[in-house]
Amino acid sequence: MPAELRQEQSPGSQASLATMPEAPDVLEETVTVEEDPGTPTSHVSIVTSEDGTTRRTETKVTKTVKTVTTRTVRQVPVGPDGLPLLDGGPPLGPFADGALDRHFLLRGGGPAATLSRAYLSSGGGFPEGPEPRDSPSYGSLSRGLGMRPPRAGPLGPGPGDGCFTLPGHREAFPVGPEPGPPGGCSLPERFQAEPYGLEDDTRSLAADDEGGPELEPDYGTATRRRPECGRGLHTRAYEDRADDGGELTDERPAFPTVTAPLAQPERGSMGSLDRLVRRSPSVDSARKEPRWRDPELPEVLAMLRHPVDPVKANAAAYLQHLCFENEGVKRRVRQLRGLPLLVALLDHPRAEVRRRACGALRNLSYGRDTDNKAAIRDCGGVPALVRLLRAARDNEVRELVTGTLWNLSSYEPLKMVIIDHGLQTLTHEVIVPHSGWEREPNEDSKPRDAEWTTVFKNTSGCLRNVSSDGAEARRRLRECEGLVDALLHALQSAVGRKDTDNKSVENCVCIMRNLSYHVHKEVPGADRYQEAEPGPLGSAVGSQRRRRDDASCFGGKKAKEEWFHQGKKDGEMDRNFDTLDLPKRTEAAKGFELLYQPEVVRLYLSLLTESRNFNTLEAAAGALQNLSAGNWMWATYIRATVRKERGLPVLVELLQSETDKVVRAVAIALRNLSLDRRNKDLIGSYAMAELVRNVRNAQAPPRPGACLEEDTVVAVLNTIHEIVSDSLDNARSLLQARGVPALVALGASSQSVREAKAASHVLQTVWSYKDLRGTLQKDGWTKARFQSAAATAKGPKGALSPGGFDDSTLPLVDKSLEGEKTGSRDVIPMDALGPDGYSMVDRRERRPRGASSAGEASEKEPLKLHPSRKAPPPGPSRPAVRLVDAVGDAKPQPVDSWV
Amino acid sequence: MSYIPGQPVTAVVQRVEIHKLRQGENLILGFSIGGGIDQDPSQNPFSEDKTDKVNGWDMTMVTHDQARKRLTKRSEEVVRLLVTRQSLQKAVQQSMLS
Repeated sequence: MPAELRQEQSPGSQASLATMPEAPDVLEETVTVEEDPGTPTSHVSIVTSEDGTTRRTETKVTKTVKTVTTRTVRQVPVGPDGLPLLDGGPPLGPFADGALDRHFLLRGGGPAATLSRAYLSSGGGFPEGPEPRDSPSYGSLSRGLGMRPPRAGPLGPGPGDGCFTLPGHREAFPVGPEPGPPGGCSLPERFQAEPYGLEDDTRSLAADDEGGPELEPDYGTATRRRPECGRGLHTRAYEDRADDGGELTDERPAFPTVTAPLAQPERGSMGSLDRLVRRSPSVDSARKEPRWRDPELPEVLAMLRHPVDPVKANAAAYLQHLCFENEGVKRRVRQLRGLPLLVALLDHPRAEVRRRACGALRNLSYGRDTDNKAAIRDCGGVPALVRLLRAARDNEVRELVTGTLWNLSSYEPLKMVIIDHGLQTLTHEVIVPHSGWEREPNEDSKPRDAEWTTVFKNTSGCLRNVSSDGAEARRRLRECEGLVDALLHALQSAVGRKDTDNKSVENCVCIMRNLSYHVHKEVPGADRYQEAEPGPLGSAVGSQRRRRDDASCFGGKKAKEEWFHQGKKDGEMDRNFDTLDLPKRTEAAKGFELLYQPEVVRLYLSLLTESRNFNTLEAAAGALQNLSAGNWMWATYIRATVRKERGLPVLVELLQSETDKVVRAVAIALRNLSLDRRNKDLIGSYAMAELVRNVRNAQAPPRPGACLEEDTVVAVLNTIHEIVSDSLDNARSLLQARGVPALVALGASSQSVREAKAASHVLQTVWSYKDLRGTLQKDGWTKARFQSAAATAKGPKGALSPGGFDDSTLPLVDKSLEGEKTGSRDVIPMDALGPDGYSMVDRRERRPRGASSAGEASEKEPLKLHPSRKAPPPGPSRPAVRLVDAVGDAKPQPVDSWV
Repeated sequence: MSYIPGQPVTAVVQRVEIHKLRQGENLILGFSIGGGIDQDPSQNPFSEDKTDKVNGWDMTMVTHDQARKRLTKRSEEVVRLLVTRQSLQKAVQQSMLS
């Protein structure tokens, strides 16, 4: 350490450190330098001037990992002689409030001296080691700075921690921490940016993100509007960054300060500062010892405008350090209008300044509080970040920029902004190059593998979030040249290398899932492929499908029109799915077309088979769910291809998963897949046991805490309903799997209205099979008992499900029975207008509840309004999940179109 | 303004004429629309302006898709809209009162 203070400190003065009197309120910032390389360090700038005329900043290098500077504020008891009694108290905890308050009291005596020191060590512009003008003051200064006797602790000798305070000797940001005291301190460690993953929108996941957060709450359709949809959105927002680095751990002084009288842990936040600070200038001035104090936040921000570039850079680094995990500081920075300053620095000519500013922005953009994100947007942060990304070659900067964008992308109003400014750049600068995809593949060389870089992970996370922002966002991403191709290539590469559990893969699959949402409605030219009826039967649809015409996706007239247009095509298509003839393509599919080519089925099934990452599993199942939905040709092919690729057993096996969201996504995927008749038969045979097991677990959890979430249960029940509808064999399978007792028990005991309704729905359908009545009655079931389950389901509208499906943009199959479809799919018959005019929206209410309709719960119930519906639709929007027509089921997500 | 379903509604409208832009091979208007009678009104993303007519087509009882189609007809270069907004209504009321 002495080396650090070479300018300031002479050995002699060091010796005197121990006895250096210290004002009680002087807080030494102890800088302990962690020896291990790679730990981030921060630069601390200290404003030394008290008279305001001159300012010098000192950089202090601290390892971020264990920041020596402890934020706790502690009063130093003063002994009888007026000297502080340092008891070397326990290390102060992590930065409590943020600002490092270095209370450096600059003594009047030596302001100049201290100032000249200037920090400029950081970089080149500053004179090396200022001359102490005032030796005594320097001496004390250095002491004040926390000169500590070398500590031979694990942390290594506190590098002249004092040296930290003395920037003089500092070189321009040294690369790594220096082990050992001498010289160690002299290297300011680079401050590691907060390894904040960023909230990805897990919502998008089916449940929202959640399927990515973007996912619509309703399964079927809506992408989640609010990323935070707790629901499913779940998934959407990952703050996975946090697990990445966690480098910035608790900051505490590495060593006890007892040995160093001056080494008092830094006091924390400004708040504590108030308590503690007692700058007693009078006392200090009496001693004529300059004391350094930590710069206050406004000072740090002012330093961002300092003409000397290294000052700017260090200030930004220090700011980053202050903001780490400190919401209060982040807020204050915004209030003090620090964000525009930082954004402006992103375009600074010096690379170091840009890098530090970006690091600070990254920390500032992270957190629950969205005001900072909004403020960054308001001062043009997004275009500035994108510009920086384009210009930067340095990998760290690219990581910081993309990390910041990932952070920002979790805030819904920013998603479209990011798409507008950044989509092209992110795709062409990061996704395409790192994915290994080549636009013009060279036939001779083998395909390149994807590079799973941090930059790629951040970018894919950002795109994952923005992909959940609705129809327009999806359109833009689908049509972004090369994006889908590159993502698919990257996923193929991951599967090939059996590296499918990492975060980048998860992000890519979530994007694919989101973009697969509503492909049957949204891609250009989708109309061409529409079929009037889903499923293999095509025009010769059975009578049970007729009833759908009322609510066919296209509306009555339209269905016919479509059908006529389709007529020829239908003839060409092979309806016999044993020999599925895919339409011949004249040229290879590219771009968004790749989303729904049957080739993706194999990819998703591989992911489902190999990956252990629950979010990836959920997303892959969600993608299949999305692709199997819809009444268009490609969905028909996809459903058949899943069967042919032996995908059904893979899905059925995943029903055993212990993770709720996986079970949910798989159940809904199976439900959609069973639109294909052959699938339905197979699923009925092989999946029934697992489905019933899940129902049983829902009703009587095998272990405490193994309870399934409501949305999952409802999903499973709806799947069961789908497969027993219109299939006597499957209904029989249900009976054989002892499903009926489980359903009745669930219906009776469930706390959730939706679950009970769904269960009763199934029971009604089962009851409608006359052939089974005999068996049922033999087992003691009566219509009344089945109805009673339904009766309990009746009731006031339950709370909307918390968007379990929100996240995922997995549309449920549009079945007329469950009609909620978002957007145009649902045809609202004019007579469905109810007294409050809202009925059409709430088509689901058509299902007669329980006993209100005739006892025979025929499956072919016509759409009818629930007569007793009175209340206006409940507030929170629920994704239009086609699951049960439960009360309060989400209304279809509003669709907005770009015209 | 509140609507009583089934009763005629009077609204103050404003005529807007928009010439479509050409973007690629499409004609676009350049804004987004939300709503439709098949949508949940409480979730309308844009609820300030409501469209009553587009080029003569009634828009008061259309689904979202129908509305979109009427706005994006390829054959029409110009779209004449009748829109209502709350602020219009209020403004007219104020002027009538004073």
